[in-house]
Formats: sequence, C-alpha cells, structure tokens
Amino acid sequence: MADLTLTNLTPTPKTTIRAAADTAAAAELGLTFGSSERRDGDLVVRIRPDEWLVIGSTATVDALDLSGFASRIDTTHSRLLFRLTGDLAAKVMEKVCSLDFADHMTPNGACAGASVAKTTCDIVRDDVDRVPSYLVLCDTSFRDYLRGAIEDAMTEFVGA
Amino acid sequence: MLLVPCPNCGPRNAADLTYRGESHARPDPNTATREEWRTYLYLRDNPSGWLRESWYCSSGCRTHFQIERHTFTGELREPLLPGSKTGGES
Repeated sequence: MADLTLTNLTPTPKTTIRAAADTAAAAELGLTFGSSERRDGDLVVRIRPDEWLVIGSTATVDALDLSGFASRIDTTHSRLLFRLTGDLAAKVMEKVCSLDFADHMTPNGACAGASVAKTTCDIVRDDVDRVPSYLVLCDTSFRDYLRGAIEDAMTEFVGA
Repeated sequence: MLLVPCPNCGPRNAADLTYRGESHARPDPNTATREEWRTYLYLRDNPSGWLRESWYCSSGCRTHFQIERHTFTGELREPLLPGSKTGGES
C-alpha cells in the first residue's frame, strides 16, 4: 500500500487559457469540460467550460493560436499546487471536500472546481503509477492554511 | 445538505454555490417607471411553493444559472443556463 504524501509543486509552470467556443485555441485544446489529458509531458485540463489549465511547461501554450476571443495568463506564482498521493488519498479528500471521490465518479483524469476546507480550489485527479493522486490548485495566499487543513485530514490515515 | 444540480457540474453541495435570490425579468431602462425599478430592485414574492431563482456556481464552473426550487419541500428542478428557454410551472 502506497503511503500518503503531500507535495508542494507550486513552482511547476502553470498557464490558464480562456477561450470562447468558436476560437482556434478552444478547438486546439479540445477536451470535454471536467476532463484532462497528458500531451507531450504537459497536463492539459479543461477546468471550466471556457477555461483550460496547462501544467508542466509553456510549450503547449506557446504553440496555441490565440487569435479572437482568447487569452493566456501565467499563473505559476499566483496559484499554489499541491499533490496528494496515496492509496487513501480519496479518503483524505473526502474529509475536506464535498465532491464524491469514488472511482466511478472521479476517475483518473477527472477535474472539478470545488471548495476544499472552505477554500475555492481546482482539483485534478492525476494518478501516479496507478496510485491515486490529486492535484489541488488554489490561490497562494491560502498556502499555509490549506496545507494545514490537508495535513490534519491526513493524520487519521497515516500508517493505516 | 441541499444538493443543487448545476447544469454544468451536476449535483453540488449548496455550500459550494452562491444564492443570488429570486429571478425577475429586468425592466426596460428606457421605459421603466421609478415604481417598476423599485419593485425590481427591492420587492420579493417569497411564496410558499415553486420559485424560480438564480444561483452562481462559485466554486465550480463559475456560471450563473436559474433553477426552480420548492420553498416548502426543498425540491429542485429544471436548472437552466443563461439563454435557455424557461419552462414548467411557476
């Protein structure tokens, strides 16, 4: 059984792209709302109907056609990124978030915006070597609070 | 816990959304009287029964939508995105 770990990956390059449905950028990024996909090492997430998040590098975004009603913004230093990994990661998330983290409701690749410990966050399930893993993104000003809240939720399951 | 069916995100805890109140058609600013504006801005029906109201999916898809809620039973139905046609009883 894989132990629970919480890692701060905030320095990982993150870019938010907002694009109207009829733009070239929206067509290139694709995906359905609530899903994500690995592309050349980057994680592309359709986090909202008109918003995508690219985590990993800027190569995918640099190649985008941002003509029309589309824009990009580097959120690397404004959004923190935690990765919670472990066989019991879903149990931990369920203590601080009201989403259903069962495999059939939140499979690998699923994403959603939701409240985590009363903090507005984006959550992406991105399993590592078949071990359940969740990326949690939030405004950096909540870093210490959110880390504390998740670590507190983890204490019940550490060593379980 | 009240489960509110967001048209994009599906059923979500009401705590993840923001309640924006009863839905009213906005009067035409070119022809509305002061009385009509006052009614639009401040007066609410507050019925015991079905009520069309606005919600904002603040933690999820960040979309405003309308839904019908029975104020006595808490039942919810017909979530609608902006631009969708309204229907059902009122």
